[in-house]
Amino acid sequence: MIDSTQPQVVRAAVSPVAARTTRRRRRAGRATPYLFLAPALVLFVGLIVYPMVRAFQMSFYDWKVLAGATSTFIGFDNYTRAMGDPVFWRGLANSGVYMALSVPPQIVLGLLIAMLLKAKSPSQPVYRVLFYLPVVTSWVVVSLLFKYLFADKGVINWALADVLHLGDGSTSWLSGRWTALIAICALGVWKGIGWSMMIFLAALQGVPESLEEAAVMDGANRWQRFRVVTLPAIRPALGFVVVMLVIGGFNVFTSVLLMTGGGPGGQTEVLLTYMYRQAFTNLDFGYGSAIAVILTVIVFLLSLAQMRLFRGGDEEER
Amino acid sequence: MKRSMTALAVTSVLTATTLALAGCSGSTGTGSGATAGTAAPVTLTMWGTYGNGGNTAQTDVLNKTLIPSFEASHPGITVKYVDIPYDSLKQKLTTGAAGGELPDLVRSDIGWVAQFASLGVLAPLDEKMSDFSTLSAATYPGSLATNAWNGHYYGLPLDTNTRVLVTSQAALDAAGMSKPPATFDDLKAMAAALKGKKIAVFADSGLQGWNILPWIWSGGGEITDAKLTKATGYLDGSKSVAAVQMLVDLYKQGEIPNLLTGNTGATSTSDGLPKGEYATILDGPWMRDIWKGQFPAFAPIYAPVPAGAGGSISVVGGEDVVIPSTTTHLDAATAFVRYTQSDEFQLAMAKVGQMPVVASAGTKAAAADPFYAPFATQLATAKPRLVIPQSSQVDTILSTELTPAFEGTTTVQAALTSAAKQIDALLTSK
Repeated sequence: MIDSTQPQVVRAAVSPVAARTTRRRRRAGRATPYLFLAPALVLFVGLIVYPMVRAFQMSFYDWKVLAGATSTFIGFDNYTRAMGDPVFWRGLANSGVYMALSVPPQIVLGLLIAMLLKAKSPSQPVYRVLFYLPVVTSWVVVSLLFKYLFADKGVINWALADVLHLGDGSTSWLSGRWTALIAICALGVWKGIGWSMMIFLAALQGVPESLEEAAVMDGANRWQRFRVVTLPAIRPALGFVVVMLVIGGFNVFTSVLLMTGGGPGGQTEVLLTYMYRQAFTNLDFGYGSAIAVILTVIVFLLSLAQMRLFRGGDEEER
Repeated sequence: MKRSMTALAVTSVLTATTLALAGCSGSTGTGSGATAGTAAPVTLTMWGTYGNGGNTAQTDVLNKTLIPSFEASHPGITVKYVDIPYDSLKQKLTTGAAGGELPDLVRSDIGWVAQFASLGVLAPLDEKMSDFSTLSAATYPGSLATNAWNGHYYGLPLDTNTRVLVTSQAALDAAGMSKPPATFDDLKAMAAALKGKKIAVFADSGLQGWNILPWIWSGGGEITDAKLTKATGYLDGSKSVAAVQMLVDLYKQGEIPNLLTGNTGATSTSDGLPKGEYATILDGPWMRDIWKGQFPAFAPIYAPVPAGAGGSISVVGGEDVVIPSTTTHLDAATAFVRYTQSDEFQLAMAKVGQMPVVASAGTKAAAADPFYAPFATQLATAKPRLVIPQSSQVDTILSTELTPAFEGTTTVQAALTSAAKQIDALLTSK
């Protein structure tokens, strides 16, 4: 701790000019960390916080897009409109269904593959790259690819009928709500496994081998070792993956827009495609923003609940 | 050392701020504030979609022939054409309007004019151009109507198109017909003749206005009254219902594929017709070039939309030329709009696939290239979709309500009554 009388002693000892320079330097020194933080902060505020606040503001207006035009404040009208809008509810349900159907397979399969790839082998890097490849591929490219796979005369129908002899291969996958959602989920799972695999692989490296060995000595079989040793050790990673995947699940957009366009007759509309349509096709930015705010609140509450759940479990164990 | 660290931090803050501000301000300036008529040179910026799909034929004619010709006859005015993909133009116009960064001229889809006019983005050309009535009288009424909003005209037609029936000799042979189906009854007979031959009698890729209105109009039905105040009693009238019912019956018999109800996995109409999966489709003049590239051996046969009780009536497509109200070069911009209506402009564009909107030029173009004749004939009676700001919502309503009728979970009458009620609400709020 610096003595508070020290500066006066210093000032008495040196010339006034030198003292001023020292003070300025010290002030500048204190400012330096903030100046280093500033570029990121400026970009964060300008490109993320400001648009978010603006969207929140827009959701309470009958928003006029033209620069300088006066928008009318309508309070919660956009929100009450959403509550009475059947397409909003169907979109929410579809987003929820997508989340529920695509998140568990991504966790289970991602963990399974991570377990298999944990063992050291010469081919391991190749497999890691192959499983991770879908993650870094463009959503647009793979959405169009899956649209062709699930087309009436696509590979999936051909494989079902001619290879596996399941049915006659005449399923119009993209023409019905549930079959189309299955196709969209299949894309989500295929594209997402690599990401959860990567997180789990990293977490698995941190599981102490001594614990594994001790469990083997105690006569624990593979499943028991996984349940009692591995799973608790990777719990934080598991929590992270679940939270991120649930957020991602509710934010499904590109694949739906490109594979079905929300059709047929709006049956596969999800919350984000509906929001996009309201804002950019109908130019109803107020209503679009209200939908975005509702989705944010839902995702925020879900994430909060999940983080509580995972943290709560930790405390119990301790 | 410490001072240099501070200096570094300050520099990085300034750089980041500059970058952020540059990102916000956009980059499409519209030149200096001078207006035409003064000696100062004027640069007009025009946004359009002529090059959509990598088609350089039209952008070449515009940039190398038409714009230089205009600039030669209008010294001091330079026109800079910016090509924008069709899918992003509307979004770019929206963000441009929000940021106050719009060009001086826009080649707009006919469906957007009322929407942007109602937002105050466009200049009313009937007030700004003294010769507007002369120019507009020379165009097709169906195309001109797409520029009207709230008692004013916000643009002039630029190019047009419409859908006609397209079929193939193979399909006619399979059905044992000597000529394309000319009436609703012919189409039903064709469906019966094609039964069991794995050829759908008709295919289309949706249930929006563009798809369904030719059938309703040809069947003698309407969407609304003439003054656009009410859909109930028109869209759900007996003639509209009967026309849609014919399609539903064919759909349920398996004679129309579920591409119609929005199955994005079905064979597209542009592939299905040349491959012999579909016997007839409705499509526009742009298909000639697409098929020329993909199916060089395919010889499409063009015919009028099958006629019902209301005759053979198709739907108008195309683009209008509009001037954003923010332009500072109104005189120069209107001069270019005037030039787009000239024979020189209309006929040069006709040669590269854009149908003229000026009736006299249309006749000349059809005479020069017989390919356009069936489209020009169809255009004489073709009608525009509802010219209201919420036309995109009308499309959503139609396809959302009609899909269950085709899938058999509701009746056509119930579907159209429900659609009419929702469109009524849009019409009263417009």
